[in-house]
Amino acid sequence: MVEKYEAMFRSAEMSLVQVYIPQEIARDAVYSLGDQGLVQFRDLNTKIRAFQRTFVPEVRRLDNLQRQYRYLYQLLCEHHIKIFPEADEELSHGFQMAPGTSKIDDHIENGTLIEERTKQLAEASEQLELQKSDLEQFRHVLQAGDEFFANATGLTHPDSQDETFPHSVSFVTGTIPRTKVGTLEQILWRVLRGNLFFKHVELPEPLYDSRSKTKVLKNAFIVFSHGDIILQRVKKVAESLDASLYDISDNGNARSKQLVEINSRLADIYTVLETTNTTLKTELYAISKEIQSWNTVIAREKAVFETLNLFDFDSNRKTLIGEGWVPKDELNSLQGQLARLTASLGVDVPSIIQVLETNKTPPTFHRTNKFTDAFQNIVDCYGTATYREVNPGLPTIVTFPFMFAVMFGDMGHGMLMSMVAALLVFNEKALGRMKRDEIFDMAFSGRYILLLMGLFSIYTGFLYNDMFSKSLTLFKSGWKWPSHWEEGEAIEAKAIGTYVMGLDWAWHGTENALLFSNSYKMKLSVLLGFIHMTYSYMFSLVNALYFKNWIDIVGNFIPGLLFMQGIFGYLSICIVYKWTIDWVKDERVAPGLLNTLINMFLSPGNVAEELYPHQAKVQVILLIVALICVPCLLLIKPLHFKFTQGKESHNGYVATDSQDGGEGLVEHNDQLVKDDDDDEEEGSGHGEEFGDVVIHQVIHTIEFCLNTVSHTASYLRLWALSLAHAQLSTVLWTMTIQIAFNFRGVTGVIMTIVLFTMWFVLTCVILVLMEGTSAMLHSLRLHWVESMSKFFEGEGTPYQPFKFQPADFEVIE
Amino acid sequence: MSSYTVLVAFFAVALASVIFWFVAPKENRTVWRSTVILSMAMMFLMWAFTYLAQLHPLVAPRRSDLRPEFAE
Repeated sequence: MVEKYEAMFRSAEMSLVQVYIPQEIARDAVYSLGDQGLVQFRDLNTKIRAFQRTFVPEVRRLDNLQRQYRYLYQLLCEHHIKIFPEADEELSHGFQMAPGTSKIDDHIENGTLIEERTKQLAEASEQLELQKSDLEQFRHVLQAGDEFFANATGLTHPDSQDETFPHSVSFVTGTIPRTKVGTLEQILWRVLRGNLFFKHVELPEPLYDSRSKTKVLKNAFIVFSHGDIILQRVKKVAESLDASLYDISDNGNARSKQLVEINSRLADIYTVLETTNTTLKTELYAISKEIQSWNTVIAREKAVFETLNLFDFDSNRKTLIGEGWVPKDELNSLQGQLARLTASLGVDVPSIIQVLETNKTPPTFHRTNKFTDAFQNIVDCYGTATYREVNPGLPTIVTFPFMFAVMFGDMGHGMLMSMVAALLVFNEKALGRMKRDEIFDMAFSGRYILLLMGLFSIYTGFLYNDMFSKSLTLFKSGWKWPSHWEEGEAIEAKAIGTYVMGLDWAWHGTENALLFSNSYKMKLSVLLGFIHMTYSYMFSLVNALYFKNWIDIVGNFIPGLLFMQGIFGYLSICIVYKWTIDWVKDERVAPGLLNTLINMFLSPGNVAEELYPHQAKVQVILLIVALICVPCLLLIKPLHFKFTQGKESHNGYVATDSQDGGEGLVEHNDQLVKDDDDDEEEGSGHGEEFGDVVIHQVIHTIEFCLNTVSHTASYLRLWALSLAHAQLSTVLWTMTIQIAFNFRGVTGVIMTIVLFTMWFVLTCVILVLMEGTSAMLHSLRLHWVESMSKFFEGEGTPYQPFKFQPADFEVIE
Repeated sequence: MSSYTVLVAFFAVALASVIFWFVAPKENRTVWRSTVILSMAMMFLMWAFTYLAQLHPLVAPRRSDLRPEFAE
């Protein structure tokens, strides 16, 4: 077997293959391909509308089944039944056969059956629920009736002894949602002009409402009034406000009789309802155990048919022809897969794979693993690399966390971050299986980024000599304080050597510490930025060499490099050179580098304070070189285009766009040409006019020259953020835990505990979480803008092989 | 102690990088090589700049809050 190409520095080489599969094993073959995830199929039927394709009926059938499963899942959710996760036994086999067609048919039949049954049960239970609530409301009204009539005796004739009302007074009773009681009363008052008696009582338990399908709180009410017409009006008003009306007798005995009758009916309904619900629950429990695996099978089956719809169906010869991209080093494994399949199915017609020559741009495929995946994602967020161009994801593995660490440099914070990341990394198996919410998933998938960020932060923190804003005194200091002084006297240390690694701790807490650390950090950012950009810029050379794009080297790379190095390369060398000279011993004035650089442009040939001999001449030469580079950048490429491409197209030369590369292609030639018309990637680059090239190059030149300056300045954010981080950390220390050190005894203990907690929580939340996020975003920007603009084209399409996706219900929603 | 320390360290890191280029694990070789060598280079650079910045200092630390007992 051919060893797989690592495909991290450049994307994997892809081949366009045609697969001829006999119709009878097409389904099984595509199923096994979906299991492996090797091929990205191209759509060969772009001219055919979606619903005219060969396997639309199958897909539709499966769609319907999936709808049924979704309905069942919804039902399960309503009844709060958890679905059982699928047993992942299938992961153990390497080679999996497609389930038989009869099995799928069984699933479809089964699905319809179960849906019908559960639907019936659910409807019946709903119906019963309605009846139940209706009767319950009636019962409540009857019970409330006693109260109504007892209080309403004032309305009866004072001289009549029995309970019954005069015939002229009639009443309406019913229930109404509690929120609408006030409205009803107001409307009735207006409608009947106050000529009524309205009473209501709150019902103790919420009752099922058929309209909103939930339980709502209700009130029972009674309205006394005169006359039939008015009564009709009252009824209409009440019904329009969702009230349910119940007729009750005004006689106490009749009411208790009604109550007895209703109670017996309610008892019947309770029994029936309970049986229905139990049956439904049992059914649903049985479904919950299986539904996940059913859904997986069906989702896969559907994916297979959807893929088959992309195939060219040659009905005469009973074969399906698929076309797709395969990594070149996987061709053998693909062939083996199909051969094994043919053998195990016992079909005598073999499946044939044929590699096509093509000038289509293949998709970009970087082989990532769990470590590189997150870093690759950083790059892919910005753009997919062009096929076979240098993948920025590879250097990003180091430069991204390191640039972060330069801004986040603090050993303590770095340790906190690495500990969290290490926790995620060591438990990745357990955490990987569990369900994660969005934020946690982000931290989990970026765990290796976090780990490297933490580790590099420890290193940079060590160099900044910063641990929670305190210095470590690991090595012998390079400074010596005077032998004696008075209290409060300003003293200055004497240099006796150089601190071996990192910033000297003698600077900690001094009055001019910032003066020194600012100068150091600013120069550090310029140097690191310049090196980072040069490193990235070199990749454009690597790309040009790989694609044999000589004109890009001559017209873009070399002038650009000279321009960049002539200005900022020179500045960087000056910075380092100035450091290596002992200005104090030589008794010379150290020149300011910023002024040197500015004067190099504003008054060329004049140097106020010399850094080194013949500086003026060197600077004039560099300036001239940089200035010459600008027209070179502007002109070489367009001129080259004018003299080569322009002439060739004049001679009737048209860029090769022919399709007849492969031998086995002849019979499909017309078909291939046909769908080339709507392929966007085709034809670009050929129709380029001279004007386009000029405009493109002018933009590139202006952009490049401006960016050389602005991008270098942009790296100063490294200085700004690391300064801010260090200062914030110092302020937090002095404002919280340092206060506790001024107290003694019990107060001291309590203060220490309280203030330490405060300090630690704020450290985690503000300094690690908030500052970390901000530093991460800045590092992201430095990569996307400052580094990747130097070489990255990003015009590729991602490689998306046909592979079965997990079919979780939660994922669907 | 002088700027030659930086040069010595540079050659040491360069040598280590060359050695690692050949002994890098077979599996995921590109990633190993790039990651380890680039890390060493960046860490060296950062150390070197820090060291160089303090080699011939133009300002000395100054403070007035030190107690006389602190004198050696």
